[in-house]
Amino acid sequence: MSDPVAPEASAGDTADTARIIDQGYRSYDGPRTGLPGSVRSVVRYSVRHTLGLGRPARHKILPWLAVVIALVPAVVFVGLAVVLNVDMIEDEILPDYHEYYGFITTALFFYCGIVVPDILVSDRRNGMLSLYLSTPLERWSYLSSKALSVALTLAVLTIGPVLFLLVAYTIEGSGPDGLVEWLKILVRIIASGAAISAAFTAASLAAASLTDRRAFASVGVILLLWGSQFITAALVEVAELSEQIYAFDLGGIADEFKNRIYGIEGLDPLGDPDLSEEGEFLPGASRGLLSTRFVVAANLAWVALGTSVVWWRYRRLALSR
Amino acid sequence: MSIVEAQGLTQRFGPTVALDALDLQMQPGVTGLVGANGAGKTTLLNAMLGLRIPTSGSVTVMGFDPQKAGHRLRAMVGFAPERNVLPDEMRAVDFVRHLAEVRGLPRGEARNRASDTLWLVGLGEERLRTLGTMSTGQRQRVKLAQAIASDPKLVLLDEPTDGLDPVQRSEMLTLIGQISKDFSINVVLSSHQLEEVERVCDNVVALDGGRLVACGPMSELVGAGDGITLELVDVAEPAGSVDAVEAALRAGGLDVRRHQATLALQGAEFEELCDRSRDAVAAAGARIRRLDTRRRTLEDLFEDAPR
Repeated sequence: MSDPVAPEASAGDTADTARIIDQGYRSYDGPRTGLPGSVRSVVRYSVRHTLGLGRPARHKILPWLAVVIALVPAVVFVGLAVVLNVDMIEDEILPDYHEYYGFITTALFFYCGIVVPDILVSDRRNGMLSLYLSTPLERWSYLSSKALSVALTLAVLTIGPVLFLLVAYTIEGSGPDGLVEWLKILVRIIASGAAISAAFTAASLAAASLTDRRAFASVGVILLLWGSQFITAALVEVAELSEQIYAFDLGGIADEFKNRIYGIEGLDPLGDPDLSEEGEFLPGASRGLLSTRFVVAANLAWVALGTSVVWWRYRRLALSR
Repeated sequence: MSIVEAQGLTQRFGPTVALDALDLQMQPGVTGLVGANGAGKTTLLNAMLGLRIPTSGSVTVMGFDPQKAGHRLRAMVGFAPERNVLPDEMRAVDFVRHLAEVRGLPRGEARNRASDTLWLVGLGEERLRTLGTMSTGQRQRVKLAQAIASDPKLVLLDEPTDGLDPVQRSEMLTLIGQISKDFSINVVLSSHQLEEVERVCDNVVALDGGRLVACGPMSELVGAGDGITLELVDVAEPAGSVDAVEAALRAGGLDVRRHQATLALQGAEFEELCDRSRDAVAAAGARIRRLDTRRRTLEDLFEDAPR
């Protein structure tokens, strides 16, 4: 038996296979991503910051609580559908897709009021804004990145749970009949989620742009969402003013827009026209009387107003140091 | 080719003139932007970045107008502001990587360079620490790291030694010099510490109340100068001997500047200045601690500036 012979590495082999692993700091002549790369990075960072990813546990509690609030009812409904084994939607035991948004609203208000303001306020308070604006980002591209990150995280709340319902109902056998109907529902889910996210993003960022105190911004958002709901309802239902006053109810008019996307018109937001006829006070009951064109215009106006406030504020914002 | 050129650059904030019709050129290398607090240093840096629209005049940086091609310019510029801008909960390496990405590096490259840059500034072992747990010196280094991680052509450093002790300050200045010499990165260093600017900078721009005091290569503005420095011992007996020497020299027609017991003399040949100093000291019964050829410093630039 001969001794094993170790393979001899030639000088050429070494030159071919050797690599310098730690090169240290050096010049960079490779490609650069430009403005799109800057925007992508800020969006990614902001989404992670908002959801508390890579941050201590206390920053994760509120955003994920909002996700849980939005998602838990959907999980429960799907569980019931599986356990009871009946066509829940057809038998009106479980909510239809458009009815599920009632469960999302609380999470949405909570998220916009408590979590979203931090996304603009913190950059102004700790000076990151001036650092961002020393990069290829301009004010408009910085704000677009922030708005996109808020809209994306809001879409998790507005689209995620309903999409989960669609998939789960479909698997369970209570979903839409046929591919066309299924796609139609999918488009409605995405369009509704995007519309609600856009209006809420614009409004909550507008409130966050007006103050450097996160608590003040939170109060502003909550007053805007809940306060406008009850004031407009009182003006229309009690003082019997025009139902067009509902244009000032951000949550209500966004919800009505969602109804129109689902093809529901002329009903009160809870889907039961008889309640208001019996004289029971039902906030927002007569929103169904508004024309679809008016509802769409009101939602666009909210987005435009919020965007204008943010832009007005940031154009005037002085960056000292 | 100049890296920065300004012509008639004026910035007003209401009645306050922060920059007063500046005409200047900054050459490649390390440029010191010196002046007291409120001299207009940060305002000039902001104008160079396009963060402020000048009231009048113009500035170009590496051939770009910051107002018209701001995003193209800022892709080539790193900036470390004076203010503490570090998010406390973020790890140093994540912060540097994020800013490198925002300045245009691809994601993988930004990750690698973030670590390399933190090693360069001496924070390799600390790169995974959160910023809130770092000392002032370490945070200043992180600010420098984020400014250079994307390999910019020009770095603007606003008071990078602020809050540092003498040892940390010396290390930071060495680092800044190394960045310029080893990696050919042009640096504009804003500071109100004249001696640190003298130590590390190739060029200097001196501002006072928004006005340009001096601008040019350091070697031309400071160094060997005319005259002598006469340092006396401020003795109790005879009383007022330093005053007497000063008065005698002034009476002889010399240009005398006094700082405590040190007199800076100009106005005659070196030999004659020495002879007159000797005579004045002997007449007043004073005692000499040091007599030296006078060296111009940045401080002299400010003292010579018209008020």
